[in-house]
Amino acid sequence: MMLLAAFDFDWHAFFFMFFALLTCGFALAVLFTSNIVRMAFYLILSLGASAGLFFLAGAEFVGAMQLMIYVGGTLVLLIFGVMLTAQSRFVTMKTSSGEWVMALVLGGALLFLLLTAAFRVGDWRTGHPNPANVGLAESKTTTQIGMGFTGVRVDKLDAPEGSTLVSGMSGYLLPFVIVSVHLLVVLVGAAYMARTKRRASSAGVGA
Amino acid sequence: MAEFFQQIWDSFFQTSSESPGAIAYLVAAVIHCVLIIHVVAVGALIFIWMERKISGRIQDRLGPTRVGGAFGWLQTLADGIKLIAKEDITPKDADAMLFKAAPYVGFAASYCAYIALPFSDGWVAQHMNTAVFFILAVLGIEVFSPILAGYASGSKWSLFGAMREAAQVVSYEVPLGMCVVVPCMICGTLNLVTIGNMQAGSFTNWLAFNDPFTFIVACVYFTCATASVNRAPFDLAEAESELVAGFHTEYSGLRWSFFFMAEYGSMFLVSGLAAILFFGGWHGPIPIAEPIAGVLSLVVEPLLNFGRYVVGFVVGDLGQVTEGVVATQIANLMGCLNFLVKGTIGVTVMMWVRWTLPRLRIDQVMTTCLKYCVPIAAFGFLGALVWQVNDLPTSNDMPVIGKNRFEVRESWVYQAEKELRTTSGDQKSSPDDQQPPFDPHQATGSTELVPQGAFVMKGGAR
Amino acid sequence: MATQVDDARIIEFDVRTDEMLVNMGPQHPSTHGVLRLVLRTDGEIVSEVEPHLGYLHRCAEKIGENLTPRQWIPYTDRMDYLAGMNMNLGWSLCVEKLIDHQLSEKAKHLRVIIAEMGRIASHLVGMGAYGLDLGTFSPFLYAFREREKILDLFEEACGARLTYSYLTPGGATADLPNGWLQKCEAFLDQFEPIIPEYHALLTTNAIFVKRTAGIGVMSGEMAVDFGCTGPVLRGSGVDYDLRRDGEERYTEMYDGYAFEVISQKDGHYPKDHDYPAVPAEAVLGDCWHRFYVRMLEVVQAIDLVRQAIDRYSTASGDWGVPIKLAHKLPKGEVYLETESPRGQMGFYLVSDGNAIPWRVRARSSCFCNLSVTSDLCRGCLIADVPAIVGSLDVVMGEIDR
Repeated sequence: MMLLAAFDFDWHAFFFMFFALLTCGFALAVLFTSNIVRMAFYLILSLGASAGLFFLAGAEFVGAMQLMIYVGGTLVLLIFGVMLTAQSRFVTMKTSSGEWVMALVLGGALLFLLLTAAFRVGDWRTGHPNPANVGLAESKTTTQIGMGFTGVRVDKLDAPEGSTLVSGMSGYLLPFVIVSVHLLVVLVGAAYMARTKRRASSAGVGA
Repeated sequence: MAEFFQQIWDSFFQTSSESPGAIAYLVAAVIHCVLIIHVVAVGALIFIWMERKISGRIQDRLGPTRVGGAFGWLQTLADGIKLIAKEDITPKDADAMLFKAAPYVGFAASYCAYIALPFSDGWVAQHMNTAVFFILAVLGIEVFSPILAGYASGSKWSLFGAMREAAQVVSYEVPLGMCVVVPCMICGTLNLVTIGNMQAGSFTNWLAFNDPFTFIVACVYFTCATASVNRAPFDLAEAESELVAGFHTEYSGLRWSFFFMAEYGSMFLVSGLAAILFFGGWHGPIPIAEPIAGVLSLVVEPLLNFGRYVVGFVVGDLGQVTEGVVATQIANLMGCLNFLVKGTIGVTVMMWVRWTLPRLRIDQVMTTCLKYCVPIAAFGFLGALVWQVNDLPTSNDMPVIGKNRFEVRESWVYQAEKELRTTSGDQKSSPDDQQPPFDPHQATGSTELVPQGAFVMKGGAR
Repeated sequence: MATQVDDARIIEFDVRTDEMLVNMGPQHPSTHGVLRLVLRTDGEIVSEVEPHLGYLHRCAEKIGENLTPRQWIPYTDRMDYLAGMNMNLGWSLCVEKLIDHQLSEKAKHLRVIIAEMGRIASHLVGMGAYGLDLGTFSPFLYAFREREKILDLFEEACGARLTYSYLTPGGATADLPNGWLQKCEAFLDQFEPIIPEYHALLTTNAIFVKRTAGIGVMSGEMAVDFGCTGPVLRGSGVDYDLRRDGEERYTEMYDGYAFEVISQKDGHYPKDHDYPAVPAEAVLGDCWHRFYVRMLEVVQAIDLVRQAIDRYSTASGDWGVPIKLAHKLPKGEVYLETESPRGQMGFYLVSDGNAIPWRVRARSSCFCNLSVTSDLCRGCLIADVPAIVGSLDVVMGEIDR
């Protein structure tokens, strides 16, 4: 029975600590590395571990989203950009002490903001009643997010009529689409600006 | 599975637990891990042997014939031993840490994606509600392996391979995602187990044959999948005639072989995904698995019960096998074989293509993706959408797809609504009779939506 | 046609990245031996290609100045090692021209059989290796399967499979063995129906056409300016073949044979056979045409061998007894060019009256063909470099000698 008790620890908490340590550890590694590709590599691991946290919390959609957008998308582009402009002055970065101070102030301010905001939400101060039972198969976060986009607050279904849903004001689908189209425009614009301009003298040669 | 081990644990130590403990989870996880690693590693052994035999036959050769008997079964194993024995070289200019880590990144990603891939009804390491999305996301991570390898090798050829890989995979994720969305849309879920089960019955129920658009989409999916796992004619990242060996130019020995395990692992993964999304998953072309399993279970079930009885002397009484479980599991086993065969067929097609066609050029690969695959996938998606919305006839006779489509849509809303009604004492909501019809106009933001129970999916004839 | 470094197309193509100097070769899978190409690349675009030679230099010509002509025959084998028979032929004719040796009819027909079989064998390698350059492996083995059968025939005739030393000044080292002609005919009968397979796998394959059509376009004038010969020249639409336009001593071998020079005239290739039509994307002088010319030459060589077998079996005279090993050469200098599978292969011999030549030089066809590389590759993509170099079908042994 001693054996049983020794092993029957809270695996959920264990993995939470594990992923949290990984996230923070690799985030620190990003800070203290000067090689930009290694930074990106540590960032992959850090973001991947935070995706692990999401999975652990039963938010598998957000976790997969994290992997797909930040790890699989943004970081690939980052490394791609580094490789395209692979010059030594970009590959290794030296940080001056002034930048350190600036970064600490900014980072500290952001952390403070985040923590105060997080602790204001009442629901977040209490733990999940039974964290071990957060099942990925039964979780319906996808639907909640999707419905939220279209304006249905599934967490407030029992709220009195009219209190959560205002016609024309609820739902994030339109803003979301506007933002994504905006991002696309920005990308196209960036690609356009990065292109070398055609030389005036040789216009018409490239046919 | 964790519950099962907890049950054994409990009966052994005469305890009782509400939920499985850490040990039970550990045992279950180890079993899952070992099973999946066999799919990836042993699968790679078999697929590499297969590739050699197939390419040999395509090229009028015999392929391996000696190691391990007449068919050269053990050729890959012998090669593996050779690779292990080879010197592990790290070039002088390489970024040693990244150079050494890169093969494992790819292998880990390929391996990780299998977590969500069901091999049969419910036979999945982690049953996930958004399995499709998870697999796509993890497959997207695999690209880091070539990129890091290419960058860290300190070789220009490797760098070229890495840049090609990055450009190609990022581009092909777009049409791949579009194609994957179509079965999800038809089935109304991202859950692979559900998608697979919605294609039960004869092969006409397979989503590829659901309507003409899904067939197009299935073809585009396979093309894009081939490209996204870097197989010929899209194997630009390792194009041997141009880039020597691309991103793995500088690798040797076991590290090199990890790239290959990852490659074959993801080949089977995308083929398996194609099988589930478009070709019936673990359901065979003719629905004979269940009757056969029923007959077999007549023999197996008593045997199992006897076994449990014997083991029960040691660990405590385990009781009888639940009625019908054995038949289900036998049917699942046959389904698993079905699935493996389908995945293997997909891999074989990839091999066939590889040994027949020349390689495309990088700009042609991009053109294929952006000018052909993306528009065709979008067209197929729109077509399938229109087909679904207008209730055009499909070959699928599953009630959830053929008729009453809204019934399957994420049943949580129905449950939430039911709970709401039971708490508010609404008598009208009692079971399945006379629900108000689903009104899509109300579903898009009307304030009257919730009280009317508009999301009741049962009997959702529109 | 050649693109310039400041060509607007290159700059407009894409985002500019850092220039990179890349060594393609001398150890590279698709540089056909030990060719070294130094590429200056901007991303995937190649702005400059510089071929470097000499990695296979074996002083063959200098050795030739220390051996008698018959002793030097094995060294010619090792120049263009894929078409040893044709190299033997070129040198033999050159020496025969110096000593003014006349061959019997039978010996001439024997040489046609052997030379054209050698051409088939060589083009098969060119075809298969070109498939490899474009990333498909199977045609290579299909080509080698048939080439092996030709090598079997050669082995039967002379005992060697790669370095034959069969044709020598004076004729050949031995007559063809009994039954050889029947076997050769049987091979041709079996081989000819296989050619459509090659067309299906390569010539008409959509990806193959995409990879080769319109790539590395060389105009006829440019080909002539650079001294390109053989299929490279004829692929640009120049109607020139030494078997018809060469020196009397060489062309008389082909007297009375029905054959046409394979090059596009008025938009058509000679012989209205059922071979695949030229795809719409193909431009005269591109990689596809160079490849196609080789494929048609294979067909034509089959035809020539068939004609030669007929004549050989009824011809008078002997098979051509070799000259003495230390045959005393008359004083003088000769130069003679033959149409080897890769183009115009010339041998130059100066004799001061000894049995050993005073000077021996070879004019390499591949050397001139390769010289267009940097012009053709400028502004192309990296993947096009193997496609262009492969379409020139160079053999480094012949270039470096």
